[in-house]
Amino acid sequence: MSRHRRFIAIAAVFAAVATPLAASAATAGHRANVTISFMEAMSSGTQKPTLDDLTQNFEQTHPGITIDLIAEPNYGILQQKEQASIAAGNPPTMGQAYENWAAGYADAKAIIPLDNYVNSKTVGVPKTFKSNIWTGVWNDLFLPDGKIWMWPFNKSDYVLFYNANMLKAAGISVPTTWAQYAAAEKKLTTGGNWGESLDTGTLSAPANGTLEYLSIVKAFGGTWIKNGKPTLDTKAAVQALQFLADLKGQGALQVGTNYPEQTALGAGRSAFAVSSIAGYPYMLAAVGGKFSMQVAPLPAGPNGGEGNAMAGTNIVIFSQANAAQRAAAWQFMKYLSSPHATAYWAIKTGYLPVTKSALVYMKSYIATHPYQKIAAQALQYAGGNPPYAWWTQAEGYVAEAMQAVLDNGASPASALATAQQKAMQAASGS
Amino acid sequence: MSLDSTLTARALGISRSRARSRAGIRNGRLAFLYLSPALLVFLVFTIGPALFVLYISFFNWNLLNPSLSRFVGGGNYAALLHSSDFWNSIVTSVYFVGATVGGSTVLGLGIALLLSQRGLVRRIVRLAVLTPYFTPLVATSIVWVWIFNPQFGLIDSVLKLLHLPEVGWLQSTTWAMPALIVYTLWHDLGFTVIIFLAGLATVSGELREAARVDGASYWHEVRDVVLPQLMNTTLFVIVITTIDSLQAFTQIYTMTGGGPLSATTTTGFLLYQQSFVFYKTGFGAAIAVVLFVVIALFTLAQLRLSRRAA
Repeated sequence: MSRHRRFIAIAAVFAAVATPLAASAATAGHRANVTISFMEAMSSGTQKPTLDDLTQNFEQTHPGITIDLIAEPNYGILQQKEQASIAAGNPPTMGQAYENWAAGYADAKAIIPLDNYVNSKTVGVPKTFKSNIWTGVWNDLFLPDGKIWMWPFNKSDYVLFYNANMLKAAGISVPTTWAQYAAAEKKLTTGGNWGESLDTGTLSAPANGTLEYLSIVKAFGGTWIKNGKPTLDTKAAVQALQFLADLKGQGALQVGTNYPEQTALGAGRSAFAVSSIAGYPYMLAAVGGKFSMQVAPLPAGPNGGEGNAMAGTNIVIFSQANAAQRAAAWQFMKYLSSPHATAYWAIKTGYLPVTKSALVYMKSYIATHPYQKIAAQALQYAGGNPPYAWWTQAEGYVAEAMQAVLDNGASPASALATAQQKAMQAASGS
Repeated sequence: MSLDSTLTARALGISRSRARSRAGIRNGRLAFLYLSPALLVFLVFTIGPALFVLYISFFNWNLLNPSLSRFVGGGNYAALLHSSDFWNSIVTSVYFVGATVGGSTVLGLGIALLLSQRGLVRRIVRLAVLTPYFTPLVATSIVWVWIFNPQFGLIDSVLKLLHLPEVGWLQSTTWAMPALIVYTLWHDLGFTVIIFLAGLATVSGELREAARVDGASYWHEVRDVVLPQLMNTTLFVIVITTIDSLQAFTQIYTMTGGGPLSATTTTGFLLYQQSFVFYKTGFGAAIAVVLFVVIALFTLAQLRLSRRAA
């Protein structure tokens, strides 16, 4: 698609965003002036201008509501700023939040549940809209109390990047199961090249490799939590870690830090890289046109099990906001998730649309960016961070188990038993 | 001298002393007035938060909603004593502090002795040794992450050339800490070298010359003349590098994240992890208080030692 045609496509989507929302604004009756603040980390690349566009459009179509965007440089700073503002008694009206952040905020009574807005007959969303949200994304909006505390915004999940030239030269087709993947990696580990690189992450900072492993656990039929408790040492979890350990033992898997999957694939040394679809531009830059880089869905497990880890955040409303601000914030959240707006956001930023119907507005874009559809469809079954404040710690113990096995020779069963024991302690608050 | 004149003289003395005392008080007040802005900043941003850390160490502190915090008395300190993570971090800290302090003192002194002579080459080398100290920790830590990278790093490439096995420096529980120590020494050595060079400048040239005239070898001259005169400098270096090492954070955060398997989780890093990753704020505050006490005791001991040496 030429640049000109792409621009027209984007403009068409943007125009489509504006029209229906202008109509809905008229009925919403937001005439009183209200200013709301949105603390977010969409401050780099195309994210900032796109969010600015959407915000401006919302303000035009919702007279009386002014949005004050408070951009933070990254998620780490965003979390610190949100927490500091809550602790200081002066939080923004709304903010981006991961599920486990939201769990902590809800425990501290710092955010409000959204059920009354979502299910409202006047300002809520219809059933058809709810069913239109990808299943994985919808499930991700709830905390364990069964209430809706978050609304979806910027979502991504994991995909398999591969060196198409390398696979073609070896006569290997794109693996669709993890067994095929292992066989392909083994075959491609020759002449100084290897299958894949991953970063196990650390206790303090899980990485892409941690989420790759957790995705494999799900594909192997395992779980991350059950009945509000961690399940890190299930049979499937041990099998999944053994699977990676075998690849490491064969030299097909190398461990590193600082996005090693990107470096190794980009250098033409590894055949595969498992990473978030949001990392596509970075992967492409690392490859630098040296070969054809393609994207495939993550392989399936032994019984066709699908596993994927959802990344990206939702939006929450902080409890210090007054009634008018809460109502305005809900309007803005609803707007951002509308098919037109989420399609526009996805086209411009590379994040995934949060509703299935948004794909209709992305046809021409998907024709040139097929990986977007591959990743979006995985949102159907992708799992977000379990909505418990202790999950941060539990995920760190998963990373430690991976370090113990892949770098320091521990057995998967014993490493995961240790991780489970520590995660249980964290879950019990001790 | 008559009694009257004596009394007058005493009275004059008293009044002069009172006047001096009043002037002293006035000067003292003025001094406080001039110091008050700095004192205020120090109180608000250093002493105040430090006291607050002590306060919250007695609570199961809820960072997001302090009203939900629960007083636990010495509970956090008791938990510390029973925490294997804490004791492991103490062992790790001793390893890290011992190696970096020992290394920087011995190497710093050695390099300073080599560079203390005049000459253009020595001046250039002196600059080269000092330069890393002025580089940002985060940036150079990342460079060293790549130097230690097992697949693409410089060190493993050399090992490969020599047909030696590759080492996952930052991934191995055995090698991660030595790698971190190597980086820390590389970065901080310039500081100790400069301190020792300053110390060497104060060493009596006459004594050294006298020793040489008496037939002392270079080694004897250094051992019996130079080192005793460098005692205070050495103590200063040991204290400063110990405090720096106990507070080391940036390179650990950037290079290893405290891993693998907590092999590089020092007490300072554990404090960060518990407080700002897991949000166990009260427990983290208790670690901070213990760390403060350790550093204070160490500094006190050094002060006494340096007084004795003087």
